[in-house]
Amino acid sequence: MKYILIGLLRAYRFAISPLYGQVCRYHPSCSAYALEAVTVHGSIRGSWYAVRRLARCHPWAAGGYDPVPPSDNQHHQTRGA
Amino acid sequence: MFDFFGDIGSFIMAPLYWITSVILTGFHSLFGRLFGEESGWAWALSIVGLTLVIRAALIPLFVKQIKSSRNMQLLQPKVKELQKKYGHDRERLSRETMALYKETGTNPFASCLPILLQMPIFLALFRLLDQASKENPKGVLTLEQARQFGESTLFGAHIADTFLSTDDWNVRVLALVLVLAMTATTFLTQRQLMSKNMPADALTGPYAQQQKMLLYVLPLVFAVGGIAFPIGVLIYWTTSNLWTMGQQFYVIRNNPAPGTPAAAAKAERVAHKAARKGKPVQPIETDEAKPETEAPKPAPRQQPKKQTRSQRKSQRPRPQGNPGAASGETDSGAQQDPDVGDNPDDVPGGDPQKPGA
Repeated sequence: MKYILIGLLRAYRFAISPLYGQVCRYHPSCSAYALEAVTVHGSIRGSWYAVRRLARCHPWAAGGYDPVPPSDNQHHQTRGA
Repeated sequence: MFDFFGDIGSFIMAPLYWITSVILTGFHSLFGRLFGEESGWAWALSIVGLTLVIRAALIPLFVKQIKSSRNMQLLQPKVKELQKKYGHDRERLSRETMALYKETGTNPFASCLPILLQMPIFLALFRLLDQASKENPKGVLTLEQARQFGESTLFGAHIADTFLSTDDWNVRVLALVLVLAMTATTFLTQRQLMSKNMPADALTGPYAQQQKMLLYVLPLVFAVGGIAFPIGVLIYWTTSNLWTMGQQFYVIRNNPAPGTPAAAAKAERVAHKAARKGKPVQPIETDEAKPETEAPKPAPRQQPKKQTRSQRKSQRPRPQGNPGAASGETDSGAQQDPDVGDNPDDVPGGDPQKPGA
């Protein structure tokens, strides 16, 4: 499942993303975020992060730097929420 | 497992079929009267109508985006600073740039929402047309309408057929024409953006290289889409591309990025208008226009000359736009400004605006 999602995201980033140029108000962009989230957190938790990010990416949001939260075994690296 | 996903799928798709089919049949009742119920033109134009309605519904998002990018000009010096600082590190640069946008509440990007809203509609239209050609009405389509929709032709080509699924050369030629149209519109949109609405220094380096690569990927994507999707969907896609192009022309004309040829063109238009109305020239909008209205700056740095204090004082207040807001020639001005501003008495000749220099 995880690898299906990663494949789909890669395909999107290769084929569809270029059609629109940069539109995302965040860094990393929503699709890069989703790809990283699924890679790091697996398909379920990663998809959930990705959905929440997409919900955040609207014209009324300020955007900004918004990295994928680190996974549990990296918790010592977290610097507050 | 797959039943489960199928159920979720139809649960999500049901409202999308409904919306798409309501708009389609709405337009069809209009165009059907003009061209005849079974005319392919009536259905094709209904698809165009659907595109226009969807894109028009997204206008509020577009307006919000324009508003939130309005202060880009004031931000430009800071963006330049970041580029100078992190130019070698693209990851860091875009991170810091985005952080700056957030800090100042000014963001030039449209967000992912418009795409996110359009994709399901695109998918719904695809399925609606595909199912209609199998006499399986979705949404509010009646069986009769589904049959008409599925069998309607444009220039002798079934709009439900794809390049791959048919031997009919009418379909293939029409698909090819639409692919060319999509490639052309997207290409023009991109080129317009790059040649008119990007500062010169953004057109070199790895970023520009990537942009150029995209120009070659685009036709490929359209070609693949063009042979896999039915004509009706390609009509939607082409119309949507045309809309994007028009929207972009509008933005570049009215809200150009600072420090670009488009911004200079706008400043010139504004100046022309002011001159026609006999008003004094407005405070300059972009630095490109500066050389036309002020004395040209001497390129080499002037050596300090002896001056009386009153002479210096009289030069101090000079109209100042936002230094560094544009690329190229004004850079030299931006670099000299700190000298002048910080300790004017030490470098009296540092002011390039000095009369008689």
